[in-house]
Amino acid sequence: MSGLPLKAILMLAWRNLWRNHRRTLIMLAAITVGVWAMIFMTALMRGMVDDMLLNGIRGLPGEVQIHHPDYRDDPNVNNSMPAPHDALLSAMRVPEVTAWTSRVRVPAVISSERDSRGVVLLGVEPQSEVKVSFDLETIIEGRFLEDSSDRGLVIGAKMADRLETDLGKRVVVMSQDPDNNIADRGFRIVGVYKAKLASLEETYIYGGRETVQKMLKLGNSVSEVAISGGDYRNVDRWLGGIQQAAGNDVETLPWYEIDTYLGSMLAMMDGFVLVWIIIVFLALSFGLVNTLVMAVFERVREIGLMQALGMRPSTILYQILMESLLLLLIGLALGNAIAVGTIIPLQGGIDISVVAEGMEMMGTSSMLYPALKLNDMILANLIVIILGLLTSILPAWRAASYNPIEALNKT
Amino acid sequence: MSSIVCKDLCKTFQQGEEIITGLDHVSIEIEAGDFVCLSGPSGSGKTTLLNAMGGLDTPDSGQIQVGDTRVDQLGKGPLADMRLHKIGFVFQAYNLIPVLTARENVEFVMQVRGEPAQERSHRSHDILKEVGLEGMEDRRPAQLSGGQQQRVAVARAIVSQPALVLADEPTANLDSVTATQLMDLFVELNQHHNITFVIATHDTRVMAYAKRLIKMRDGKIISDEKQQHPSTVVS
Amino acid sequence: MTITLRMAWRNLWRHKRRTWLTVGAMIFSNLILVFSISLQLGSYQMMIDNSLKSYTGHMQIQREGYNEEPKMRSSIDAIISLAGRVRDQLGNESVAARGVAFAMTSSEERSYGLQIIGVEPEYEPKVSTLPGLITRGGYFTGLNTEEIIIGAVLARNLRVGIGDELTLLGSGHDGSFAAGIAIVTGIFESGIAEIDRSMAQLPIGYFQDLFGMEGRGHNIVINAADLSEVESAKQSVSSVLKDRDELVVLDWELLQPGLKQAIQADFTSAWFMYGVLIVLVAFSVLNTQLMSVLERTREFGVMMALGVKPARLGSLVITETAVMSGLGLAIGALLGIVMTWYLSIVGFSYPGMEDMAERFNLPDRMYPSLSILSIMLGPSVVFVFSLLASIYPAIRLFFLQPVTAMRAV
Repeated sequence: MSGLPLKAILMLAWRNLWRNHRRTLIMLAAITVGVWAMIFMTALMRGMVDDMLLNGIRGLPGEVQIHHPDYRDDPNVNNSMPAPHDALLSAMRVPEVTAWTSRVRVPAVISSERDSRGVVLLGVEPQSEVKVSFDLETIIEGRFLEDSSDRGLVIGAKMADRLETDLGKRVVVMSQDPDNNIADRGFRIVGVYKAKLASLEETYIYGGRETVQKMLKLGNSVSEVAISGGDYRNVDRWLGGIQQAAGNDVETLPWYEIDTYLGSMLAMMDGFVLVWIIIVFLALSFGLVNTLVMAVFERVREIGLMQALGMRPSTILYQILMESLLLLLIGLALGNAIAVGTIIPLQGGIDISVVAEGMEMMGTSSMLYPALKLNDMILANLIVIILGLLTSILPAWRAASYNPIEALNKT
Repeated sequence: MSSIVCKDLCKTFQQGEEIITGLDHVSIEIEAGDFVCLSGPSGSGKTTLLNAMGGLDTPDSGQIQVGDTRVDQLGKGPLADMRLHKIGFVFQAYNLIPVLTARENVEFVMQVRGEPAQERSHRSHDILKEVGLEGMEDRRPAQLSGGQQQRVAVARAIVSQPALVLADEPTANLDSVTATQLMDLFVELNQHHNITFVIATHDTRVMAYAKRLIKMRDGKIISDEKQQHPSTVVS
Repeated sequence: MTITLRMAWRNLWRHKRRTWLTVGAMIFSNLILVFSISLQLGSYQMMIDNSLKSYTGHMQIQREGYNEEPKMRSSIDAIISLAGRVRDQLGNESVAARGVAFAMTSSEERSYGLQIIGVEPEYEPKVSTLPGLITRGGYFTGLNTEEIIIGAVLARNLRVGIGDELTLLGSGHDGSFAAGIAIVTGIFESGIAEIDRSMAQLPIGYFQDLFGMEGRGHNIVINAADLSEVESAKQSVSSVLKDRDELVVLDWELLQPGLKQAIQADFTSAWFMYGVLIVLVAFSVLNTQLMSVLERTREFGVMMALGVKPARLGSLVITETAVMSGLGLAIGALLGIVMTWYLSIVGFSYPGMEDMAERFNLPDRMYPSLSILSIMLGPSVVFVFSLLASIYPAIRLFFLQPVTAMRAV
């Protein structure tokens, strides 16, 4: 009787759990709701941040970018750099790099006969640009550029509206050349695109790289080289090789250092997920301790009897902890199941377009795609089990430390 | 006015697989001002009969009339009102509200009846004095002995001046001295306030006080006799 | 204190530990609610204030359609005199006319395409904080002077300082070529990178000359005394515009829909989280009160036998819950106030906040602001839901049979 086998403890704990089925069910419901909320909310947040990052990375296409060291502070035509040299080209031939492209990227003014707007002029390599960032499906009118010497221009639908211009019409793009002479050139609009974020449509206009280089008298220089590996979370694995090959004359940075807002959002979200899970757990823990305290209180006589019969205090401690563990495990199983069950039907996206412009301020689009991450689920489950058992130790220890005689005499 | 008339009462209970007969065609009349003991072994139906009279339990068939009221025809709410206003109950020990003091236990019923605060404190003081608990008004049940607790229960039962007091095994948890004191109190209330008492008991000391002794067994009345010289209070 | 209240209070302390654990759950949730709601409301207020005061203003008069499609030609005729009439109507100086145009702006070394704002030097400082943020040089000296004020980042990128000349090239109101020069007289630092990088202002008279506006402008910015008075000011402004059908008054919610929606989105997701905390508290209360009712079955049976109706017993249970929740509310709100108050003085920040704060025009330390609303909102909802949770245990009493109840252990 002194050292009860695990199976017997398990059975006792199970039966004791269902002696007061109402209380157990309420507590289970609370744990289930808590675990569901932990996972569900985390998936929504992750989904939002993922979207924010994807949009952001699309806005500054390429997870790793190479620039002239001064370019980011002063994105000027003067801060250009030579086209990729051989060492860099071979470094970009590793399997992790799925695509790369080089661009000219300078501030410019676009004018129609009606209006003028400030924009970012991109001189791109159409073939590789579509692999890194530009989605051909976003072209709603006309076509994308055909090659780097294409003389056409592709602009956003919103920009076309603003300028009161259209496919096939001519616009003038003005910027400066390296000697600060106004460099301007007429372009025919050959394509109109529609972006997920309206602000992008008003920011970027696309021309052929060679055409833009000629207009700006840039020779072979480019503003940036953008490199993509397909997964923004795993940039660090191949970043080092590129950095080394690119050399010290240029600045080679991953996306999270280029746009610190995005980088810190990702880091902040990790912190937020942890804080959220812990807060929900704490709110739960009061109920958990309460349930165990009540269960122990009702059974004081019984515990006294067991001790009188020679059961070790440690066995009583294990038994109460086992009850708590069973409660937690069932609650976790239900909570996880319901969380997965509610997230899967929402995989197609949740329409939040009523607050679309607000979401755009945060950098996300009007559909929210919950992202269920295995790591987050594991984290939530581990926290609930470990902290749950820790908080159960107090009531269990109290139960184990009753004096048998006193316990037996209690009514 | 508060005579009790029971006609042909039947009641059965289900206990597990078995069907137990609580009352088997019981008919009885009790006059106002009487002091009646229902006696018999446990399971004889005395508590069931008492509960039926008090409207705590409804019989399967038959009629009960207390005063002018057909108890068997009342709904839950009116039954509660009847218990509150016309009937006093005394149960076995431990029937006080543990978080209230003696005085508050007595006042609680009056408050539920909606009596004004001044009236309440005045009457509860008098009634506790009458049952001999002067100076103990502010103790909680746990600080009172079994007999004292029963006195509080009696005070609570009679504070609203009911015409009828129903008591179920009032002496079950009391020693004989205390039991005698309690019975003396009952007899005194019966005589001075003309309250009808119906007491279910299997305590022979209690039976000795009864003016009328009804014996029951298996849900039936097996004897019903008037006692010529019941024990009375010497006062 | 009535007997019911006294009874409720004493019943609570029959199980001290249980009551405190339940109250503890409430305190914990209330603490978090007070803090985060104060933080939320405080930062919304700040987001609105900072965004509106730096540029947009509480409302603007525009030609209809300008807000959706801000075109050069969607302009307001005789804008300066109209602004004057609005000023007279409102009896409020915080009314300023503006013109908006794009121009290629060049220094000796650099050129940038910029939005150029023409402003009324006398009134612009009353609607916008930017003129007050000039760190080098000064503000415009006249309505028609060839002066320009730019942001600090822009000055650095253009490599210009006070006294340097900028060339402006753009298209005028009728689409013709517009060109002119202006001397940098002031450089401001708002701390908001976007504004410091892209904003340039001219005095409106010169602006009109340069872009061939012929007395026109694009919007009149109006600030009310505070946000709550925007609606009444809007009515009053509308009356001035009666004879100008082509003009509309738009308030900040229309001018900056993103701001309102960002707040709404944040508010909604925050309430989802608060909802979870509140539901968990409700479960705690449900458990405690159900147990407390079940263990008192006998006692309730006795009371019912005495003629006490279930409704009264139910109200006792609700009263107990109310007392318990009241305790949780008072202590939780109090601790919440203390914690929030402390943080509202020292401020706080978390890693990554700077980038986020800048995006939403917030300072890089957060100072939650306490108000009756932010203190009471969360705890009162917790209170109400706790009471709701005790309805089930209370209702159970209606199904209690006095005879069986008295036999219960």
